[in-house]
Amino acid sequence: MNRRQFLASGAAGALVAPVLLRPAPAATNENFRVKYFPVPEAERSRDVTACSDGVTMWFNCQGNGKLGRLDPRDGSYKLINLGPGSAPHGVIVGPDKAAWVTDGGQNAIVRVDNDHKVTVFKLPFKDYANLNTAAFDQSGIYWFTGQSGYHGRLDPKSGDMQVWKSPGGRGSYGMTVTPQGDVWYCSLAGSHIAKVDLATGNAKIVEPAIPNQGARRVWSDSKGRIWVSEWNTGNVSMYDPAADAWGVWRLPGERPRTYSVYVDEKDKVWLTDFGGNAIVRFDPVTNEFNSFPSDKPNANVRQMDGKPGQAWGGESGTNRLIMIETLQPPA
Amino acid sequence: MMRIVAGAALLSFALAIGAAAEDGAALFEPCRACHSLDPAAKVMPGPNLAGLIGRKVAADPSFDYSPVLRAVRDDGRVWTHEMLEQFLADPEAMFPAMWMSAQGLRNANDRKALAAFIADSASR
Repeated sequence: MNRRQFLASGAAGALVAPVLLRPAPAATNENFRVKYFPVPEAERSRDVTACSDGVTMWFNCQGNGKLGRLDPRDGSYKLINLGPGSAPHGVIVGPDKAAWVTDGGQNAIVRVDNDHKVTVFKLPFKDYANLNTAAFDQSGIYWFTGQSGYHGRLDPKSGDMQVWKSPGGRGSYGMTVTPQGDVWYCSLAGSHIAKVDLATGNAKIVEPAIPNQGARRVWSDSKGRIWVSEWNTGNVSMYDPAADAWGVWRLPGERPRTYSVYVDEKDKVWLTDFGGNAIVRFDPVTNEFNSFPSDKPNANVRQMDGKPGQAWGGESGTNRLIMIETLQPPA
Repeated sequence: MMRIVAGAALLSFALAIGAAAEDGAALFEPCRACHSLDPAAKVMPGPNLAGLIGRKVAADPSFDYSPVLRAVRDDGRVWTHEMLEQFLADPEAMFPAMWMSAQGLRNANDRKALAAFIADSASR
């Protein structure tokens, strides 16, 4: 859909025009509890995800090439060496219950099981892909992006890997899978989202509502709608594939810079705002925002994930993890 | 004979310069996902780097920099070639908690080649 089609679309207009013009309402934070977990030996702690044990959290240490594992019950943590030159970016948990890491430094996908055994899957070429983010599809195939302009797939059972040049060139960044099984990624430099054909690896671009928005990360909600964090504009946007329509909302504050997006199990949208040094929660039902500024400057939360009732992020600027617990649904 | 040696040395030097330029261009490729060296380029995820050497830190007027770099700019610090090479070794070591998250270049020759490419006004 191009911009003209978007503007002509009644559905898109209904979604976009009211929310862009409306100031973002602020909600109170009394139903949430914020807790920080210092991980000082983890240099530049960043992407997080819940371990398959249901208790601990995996987190990447991009600055010193390690994968961390935090026990939130007492704040203790372990660091696991990923290999020489490692600089891990993304981490997710697979159907095999292991952690899977996109490791830009090693130009490789790295698997770490719950006993901390490390297996490295090198990319099938030497070009620096700048590996970024990944998602498992419903058949257990691991899909990934490389910011140098690549997306690819790895079959964890056979180790077979294929990599494609992403349409539109450099910038392939965040990635998500919908409940319907579709795989989408976004391009930060290309300012678009794209749907991957799981059979061929070809990707079809969907242009955004606002050009040059800087689509950094994506996350699907339960309906298969794709939420996008827009770095260049400071907006959060949502593409509904069923309606072929966009919604766009500006984050609160004077100069928001929307870095990451995560949608929780209740379809509430969590965003990180570098301009406001805050995590922001958006309720698409009420159009309300909750803002959770860090208690330290330059927190720089670059990704979020979570488990029911808990939204997690890594403060790459402070070497801490943060957990925001929803105590009860806001009235 | 002397002329031949001198010619060979000159050729060798010229080839080295050419190789360095090629290396610098290749090393800049990943940077292009966020930065441009074309002063007329559209707004990108990172600041425009055209004319970097000799200008203040955080001085692309079209880019909204992190508080860390705005503070450095307010101190009046100016990019030099040497500073750029040091920055490329580990950007976040020079400016902790800056917004850019990038690996440093471990190889000094790579840093030299990339810095030379960025500094060259002919680079786009």
